[in-house]
Amino acid sequence: MTRKAKKAARPEPAVTVRGLENRFGANLLHDGLDLEVLPGEVLGVVGSSGSGKTVLMRSIIGLNRPRTGEVSVLGENLSALQGRQRKALLARIGVLFQNGALFSGLTVAENIALVLKLHTGLAPGPIDRLARQKIDMAGLPQDTAGKMPAQLSGGMRTRAGLARALALDPEIVFLDEPTAGLDPIGAADFDRLIRELQQSLGLTVFMVTHDLNSLVAIADRIAVLVDRKIRVGPLDELLNDPHPWIQAYFRGPRARAAHDAAGSGH
Amino acid sequence: MVALSVASRTRSVTETSASSSGERPLAWFDLEDENRLRVGGVWRLAQVGLLSRRLERAGLSGRAVHEIDASALTALDSAGAQLLIRAVPSPDAITGVDKRYRGLLRRVADAETAATDQPRPRRPGGAGAQLALIGWRTVGVGIRTWELLGFFGLCIVAIAGVIIRPWTLDGRATFHHLQAAGLNALPIIGLLAFLIGVVVAFMGALQLQKFSAGIYTVDMVGIAMLRELGVLFAAIMVAGRSGSAFTAQIGTMSLNEEVDAMRTIGLDPVAVLATPRIVALVIALPLLTVYADLVGLAGGAVVSLALLDIGIPLFLERLSSAVDTTAFLIGMAKAPFFAAAIAIIGCFEGFKVTGSAASVGRRTTTSVVEAIFAVILIDAAFAMALSWLNI
Repeated sequence: MTRKAKKAARPEPAVTVRGLENRFGANLLHDGLDLEVLPGEVLGVVGSSGSGKTVLMRSIIGLNRPRTGEVSVLGENLSALQGRQRKALLARIGVLFQNGALFSGLTVAENIALVLKLHTGLAPGPIDRLARQKIDMAGLPQDTAGKMPAQLSGGMRTRAGLARALALDPEIVFLDEPTAGLDPIGAADFDRLIRELQQSLGLTVFMVTHDLNSLVAIADRIAVLVDRKIRVGPLDELLNDPHPWIQAYFRGPRARAAHDAAGSGH
Repeated sequence: MVALSVASRTRSVTETSASSSGERPLAWFDLEDENRLRVGGVWRLAQVGLLSRRLERAGLSGRAVHEIDASALTALDSAGAQLLIRAVPSPDAITGVDKRYRGLLRRVADAETAATDQPRPRRPGGAGAQLALIGWRTVGVGIRTWELLGFFGLCIVAIAGVIIRPWTLDGRATFHHLQAAGLNALPIIGLLAFLIGVVVAFMGALQLQKFSAGIYTVDMVGIAMLRELGVLFAAIMVAGRSGSAFTAQIGTMSLNEEVDAMRTIGLDPVAVLATPRIVALVIALPLLTVYADLVGLAGGAVVSLALLDIGIPLFLERLSSAVDTTAFLIGMAKAPFFAAAIAIIGCFEGFKVTGSAASVGRRTTTSVVEAIFAVILIDAAFAMALSWLNI
């Protein structure tokens, strides 16, 4: 499954993290963490609860200022940019927060249109058409366009959040536990959706997840947060990593089940 | 068709890009013959606004083109793809698409079909809808009143439970609310009551001086503050401060499913959340009323001294002869009723919060408006009842 990521000439990474250090009080979360996300790959990020997966994501997209270390997204340092340059870079990034983080006062279509209005000078007609296109791409029926977030189920809210994240055709999307709280069938649908969009839109995907099925199904490479650092590689490689947490994670009963399910599916 | 052949020249659509190929425009289209459109360059979201305007001006929007040759495209995203697909009757009419963009084009074509198949839900409008809205609102008022009465009953049951078994009252929560709604309200209520006393005395003094009856200002301030204004303004302040806080607190807990969690573990949310608040307010408001009365009278005394040369001893002497305890007791008698109304409405609106953060805001507004309305309604009822009883 790891085709694009392994071209002969190493392409410029979509995300580069060097020497990242994050600390909350006395709790050292990341200590000299390095990571590269290659363009066009789906990178799954796993780690135990509280190991700082979400903080890592927030550091990359500029919501958390790391104590030390360098972060660059699409070749630029987001937190150093200001004004128009920052806005231009933000337009190339899509973020799906946990549970969608939709603006509760706006309908689904308005949530998407807001992003388009903010970044393009398009007239209301084309904006509405693009919003409806994104709603369909996220696998939502068209009648969700006029609904308020409170009227949607958890899974639909996640999809609506994805539609908003895709509004500007970003080059890279960050997903924070997109399949958390979804039933297995819904989660598998979502995985398929991500894979399909990643291929048709040429996306790079950075996905924080706990969902082993998701990882097996769509991740090209997996980044494991252990000992305040990252170990990254394809699944087969990580299976042979002797680290006890990684062994427990990928060789546990749930992992085996996920692997079997994926194997029998092909 | 003439117009189309006139339009059949390369259109420079965006400024020549600095990076790519020099004199070629960043994105362009070219009508080769009447039905065949050649497109090229970067068809991305940033170019789509200009491109779609140009296409429209050339009369090429809305499925006017039979065929599109897309072999010269250098970049395409879903917005650009949508523009292409909307120009032709069927996605098959787009040829020469780079392999990279075929999946995207197919996906966008599917999305377009889904978006156009589904008829837009029309927003209801017109006079009929307005009339229906009035009807719904009217029914809504009835339903709300009914629900509020129901909640009032629940609160009575909960309070009765506490009266029968006082040890079941959550003492800590009650004291917390006593402090928040009572003690912490002292500065603002003091200021307000003082100013009200000043204003009443000032107006009275100006008018009564004309009749050389300035001394009656004391009667006026005394009766007005003790019987009506002290308790009324304390209640309005409490409704704004604490009634709204109750709604917001309980509303946020409802959103967070804390209220549901209480139900599942066998706690009665009304007993746990509403009872301490109601008890606290019923204790706090009479105390605040005494305080507001005193400070209000002080305000009146200051004005009397400054404007009418009525010294404090004279003021007090006149006050004790003009105002009997009935006026004070009438004011005090209203306080618990006001407090109960404010607390019950505040909690009720909190429990009614559903869905989103906006709902908390809406309910809080409603809670304050309704609480103040209820206070004035109860005050009017008291006035009528007392005049009927000749007190």
